[in-house]
Amino acid sequence: MFAIDRHAWANRWRDRHPGERLLLAGGGLLILSLLPVFTTAPLILLVMTIATVAGAGIPVRDLLAFMAIPVGFLLTGAPFLAVSLDLNDGIRLAFSPAGAMTALEVTLRSLAALSCLALLALTTPVVELVALLRRLGVPSAIVEIMLLIYRLIFLFMEQAITGQHAQAARQGYSTFGRSLRSLGQLVATLLQRALQRARRLETGLAARGFEGELRVLSPVHALSWPRLLRIGVLLGAVSLLALRLDRWLG
Amino acid sequence: MHIMEGFLPPIHAAAWTAVAVPFLVVGARRVVTLTREQPQTRLLLASAGAFAFVLSALKIPSVTGSCSHPTGTGLGAILFGPSVMAVLGAIVLLFQALLLAHGGLTTLGANIVAMAVVGPWVAYGVFRLTRSLGGALTIAVFLAAMLGDLATYLMTSIQLALAFPDPTSGILGALTKFGGVFALTQIPLAVIEGLLTVIVVNLLTQYSRDDLDALAFAHGGAK
Repeated sequence: MFAIDRHAWANRWRDRHPGERLLLAGGGLLILSLLPVFTTAPLILLVMTIATVAGAGIPVRDLLAFMAIPVGFLLTGAPFLAVSLDLNDGIRLAFSPAGAMTALEVTLRSLAALSCLALLALTTPVVELVALLRRLGVPSAIVEIMLLIYRLIFLFMEQAITGQHAQAARQGYSTFGRSLRSLGQLVATLLQRALQRARRLETGLAARGFEGELRVLSPVHALSWPRLLRIGVLLGAVSLLALRLDRWLG
Repeated sequence: MHIMEGFLPPIHAAAWTAVAVPFLVVGARRVVTLTREQPQTRLLLASAGAFAFVLSALKIPSVTGSCSHPTGTGLGAILFGPSVMAVLGAIVLLFQALLLAHGGLTTLGANIVAMAVVGPWVAYGVFRLTRSLGGALTIAVFLAAMLGDLATYLMTSIQLALAFPDPTSGILGALTKFGGVFALTQIPLAVIEGLLTVIVVNLLTQYSRDDLDALAFAHGGAK
């Protein structure tokens, strides 16, 4: 259903501890926000792309598909930063060199940050990341709700897609007015079904003596300290190189 | 409209995250209390969250031919109340970033403020106000969903304008620039979302009265 989720469960790094990838992607984002963008961003983009494609074995095509929608947003958004609006004598739009620099900076930073997000999202199942949140002090009630949401998303999504197909097959989306009515019916039905499912789950759990905690088994991955160290060294090397390049370029 | 990963300058990203945190803490406290009193609430909340995610993945018909997605902000705020919506919205936004590449981790805070805090509170406020002034349910729902939507876009425009002030005309100029672009595309979408939400609520009041009674909606004076 979601290509990203499929890769997250079936990439070469699936048996490794999620903390390792969190360190790599999170560290990348941190470096990106602290060091000069113009030299850091291309390096981060390079490192993350290599790690995702060569390391985790994600096909290049799927990585590009991941980037496609956000890059579309970038292409429509960034040009607005390069033009300047003058309100003094009437409304006047003009190209501005300072704005163009900002636009370039934003584009580079966004692409690099996106590659960090891609690395994390394409290699790590959402549930494993959510489980880490518990360690960060997020209340266990919230973590459990998040895990339940993740599981329910796929059930509801299937209902939504099936429903929309059925409506489309009956000309439900042939005109604008019909589309609106069909979508309204679909949303109302989905909500009804969602609430029904919640009630059935409640009854089922109550019958099994539910007392407020859902305990599930999750696969245990050992944290590899040598790998963490290597990731740290890699991030350190990227930072040093970025700083050196920045000084060299002046 | 989600702000994409890395788009905001780091300081802005951090500041908006700091703004979002208190709302999340209050919302989370409320969720923890709710689930302690009634353990089964977590299933209801989980269903609501998954529903909100799926809603945001559906395509909305648009007059111009382009496609967009319903935000569900208004519907969620009316059904579940704004403080719970902050938590559910934040979870949905995180999942959208990780499962659909919509939004991002560094911009999560800014997106939470616009879509899970400002939008729902405006929608809820408009809904309560219209109802207390004696407005019909249909009108209250329409205004709540539409204005909630517009408030979200306005907030996003403000966030972008603060981050990227115009070189000559400053923050105000940038706000006109971003707001103008959004107004062109988003006002029709907000009206469509308003109409859609009315259809949904009408169907729900006709066919699943008891479901609505079970939710906060019934306490909002919707009867």
